[in-house]
Amino acid sequence: MKEQLQERLRHHCTAEGLTLDRADPRQWFVDGPRERVRDFAAAMVTEGARYVVSMGYDEIARNGTLGLVHSFAFDREGLFLHFRTNAPAADPSFESITPDIPNAGWSEREYMDLLGLKFSGHPKPKRLVLADDWPEGIYPLRKEVPHDLVPPAAEDVAYQLEQGPPGTTTIPIGPYHPCLHEPEHFAVYVDGETIKGCDYRGFMTHRGIEKLCTTAVSYNEVPYIAERICGICGTVHATAYSQAVERAAGIRIPRRAEFIRTMMLEIERIHSHLLWLGVAGHLIGFDTVFMQAWRVREQIMWLCERLTGNRKTYGMVQIGGVRRDVTPEIREDILGVIGQVEKELLVIRKAIQNDSSIHRRTKGVGTLSHEEAVRWSLVGPVARARGVDIDVRRDHPYAAYDEVRFEVPVFTGCDAWSTLQVRMIETFEAIRIIRQVLEKMPGGPILFEFQDPIAPGLHAMSAVEAPRGESTHYIITGENNRAERWRVRAPTYPNLQAVPLMLLDEQFADFPIIVGSIDPCFSCTDRVGVVNARSGGYSVMTRFELEALGRRKGESV
Amino acid sequence: MSTLTTSLNILAFLGLSPLFEAIIRKVSARVQARQGPPLVQPYLDLLKLLGRENIDSAGTWPFRLAPLIALASILTVVAVLPLAGRESAFTAQADTITLVYLLTLGGVSVLLGAFASRNPYALIGASREMITMILVEPVLAMVLLLGALKAGSLDLMSALYGAIRPGYGIAVVVMLAVYLLGLQAFVARQPFDIAEAEVEILGGPFIEYSGPNFALFKYYLMIKQMFYAYLPVAIFVPLPRSGFYGVDLLVQLALTGLVFILIGLLAATHPRFRIDQAIRYYAVLFVLAVLALGLSLSGF
Repeated sequence: MKEQLQERLRHHCTAEGLTLDRADPRQWFVDGPRERVRDFAAAMVTEGARYVVSMGYDEIARNGTLGLVHSFAFDREGLFLHFRTNAPAADPSFESITPDIPNAGWSEREYMDLLGLKFSGHPKPKRLVLADDWPEGIYPLRKEVPHDLVPPAAEDVAYQLEQGPPGTTTIPIGPYHPCLHEPEHFAVYVDGETIKGCDYRGFMTHRGIEKLCTTAVSYNEVPYIAERICGICGTVHATAYSQAVERAAGIRIPRRAEFIRTMMLEIERIHSHLLWLGVAGHLIGFDTVFMQAWRVREQIMWLCERLTGNRKTYGMVQIGGVRRDVTPEIREDILGVIGQVEKELLVIRKAIQNDSSIHRRTKGVGTLSHEEAVRWSLVGPVARARGVDIDVRRDHPYAAYDEVRFEVPVFTGCDAWSTLQVRMIETFEAIRIIRQVLEKMPGGPILFEFQDPIAPGLHAMSAVEAPRGESTHYIITGENNRAERWRVRAPTYPNLQAVPLMLLDEQFADFPIIVGSIDPCFSCTDRVGVVNARSGGYSVMTRFELEALGRRKGESV
Repeated sequence: MSTLTTSLNILAFLGLSPLFEAIIRKVSARVQARQGPPLVQPYLDLLKLLGRENIDSAGTWPFRLAPLIALASILTVVAVLPLAGRESAFTAQADTITLVYLLTLGGVSVLLGAFASRNPYALIGASREMITMILVEPVLAMVLLLGALKAGSLDLMSALYGAIRPGYGIAVVVMLAVYLLGLQAFVARQPFDIAEAEVEILGGPFIEYSGPNFALFKYYLMIKQMFYAYLPVAIFVPLPRSGFYGVDLLVQLALTGLVFILIGLLAATHPRFRIDQAIRYYAVLFVLAVLALGLSLSGF
């Protein structure tokens, strides 16, 4: 099966006169002229590939061109395929692949904004990432633009949202709305209580982390910045970035470090899925589910504090390994906590499975067919709830996932209830994985300290299964001990693009749970860090006293 | 003397309705493994709001008057209410129709404020509130008619205390079931807080209200809630008739407190219904209420 596909791909490239680089058996690079972009993409879709993401990059200094990569995944065969092409900076135009692959719409718009690429035939060539008052003609990801450029703010500019279908009322949701936990804007067109369409304007918190990390800091500092892309699944981004660098530079990290990464990723999955379960309860007006799920989750947060010194944003992962070891004492601690979480979660699961009112609010809500899910390249629980059997941990194994056994739950309900079930089972599977990791973890060092400089111009992509789905990081190594280009694609990026389709003809009251069902992480998509207000000022209590007080109160209930 | 009982009615509802609100909050907090706010919190909330600036965002008279009409109408309901089996000064001036009319007036003033605020969320909330009123008010009217039909009079004493004389029949039991099934809808709590639905429409009809005007609406909602919790105690539980008015009243208020615990438990264990799901639910209640009246008329 795998050999047949590889043979066909090789044959296709030879026939089309494209260069194929097969140095890494798990990801191939195809180089070809820009005229071939659309044909090649269409051929890959015919071959059954899943579109992953596109990346544009600036190579003006090297050869006067702007580069473009379209990445595809063959999940069953465990292969990523990257089609690389370029265009002269004077005429950076490509044919759009969005008409064939709807999910490429955002990637292409992103590089219209950030690099000044042009895509002919794009169905919606509107601004996506840049602020509405950003001046025309300045493309911030080009190397000539400094990372700290602040163009003057303009007055009276606003994004022009689409007109709703005739006879509908526009209900604005956002930028601040209780069902969105980060600033984004949906214009929802309703007829009575029925949603007839919606337009989306996001990227309101875009801060240019990719630019910052390719200009101002060096390789080793980036994992901690990457971790701050997301306030919930930070370890995913730190791991994905580190793996991308390791893969590009050919670094093998110690096996024990891979096991610890696996464990941290699964601990993070438990906390994230419990967080989602609580939020989902809140969104359908069931705050008891919210409070109970978060009460159970709190134990994980405290465990992480004992494990890493922090409730979230653990700072565990770095290039070459991890920063903290798992001692025998903390091992017992982890087993105790996940045992307790498992016990309490079983009670919650039983309560939810038997609650007909939850079924009423989630079954048949936010439906999107299996075919649409495939066409829109959805990932994670959102895809698995629609019968798309993909999971990076199993299909493109990384860290220690090749040595642990776990189920990938797949449901075919195509609705919010199925995503709930997928996440519920995944939480139990995460507990199972952590137990196996602690059992099988080999001894040895936890960090490989690399001394040699990393050669410039190497390409690599790494994918990690975040709680929300596949996160990919694409890296091009560069000079001065830092990456030349780094492209992050969080799972919300593809999933959010299909939300307008999920909303169509649904009830307005279901808007929160439908958007919630993809477990959106808007800031991941915008690639920013979550900013915490700095503590301090005049406080009578120290932070520790306050925490201790809060916990005593919590325990007394 | 009767002026005194009227004042007592109003004082009891003004004074106790925030306490009962606190009971709901405390009960849901316990179900959710939380401590919950102290029992004085709803009083403090009202005081805080009363001290805040009144932002007149719509700038029209209907918007400003709506909270006043709402509170006034519910206080009139309370004033005519025969509390613990004793008529107030105004009970004789009113009858069942007046009571239903005054309750509807409160709801209509909420709609008035919502439409006057011209906020899209308020408009959605108002349309949901309107549907709820159209379907739920008749159920309430039929509950009151049960006693009125038995006594052959629309006066409030028979409507409130006539249903279980001479004793429970099947009709009364069915009507009690209807009332309990509709309880959360009468008090607009989960699963029927559809018109306010925080995560969808951010409080619906009340979104543009702030400060004292919002406090009046909040007070209106609390008193209305206490009225609907007191009503089944008056209609379906026999008066103790201990001979002391105070004892009778205390027993009835304690039972009202129990109804509030029930409200809190139901609210904490149900997600919100969608309006289309709620309509089907209300329709069943309506049919059941008609059935109960029919049974009553046929002598069951």
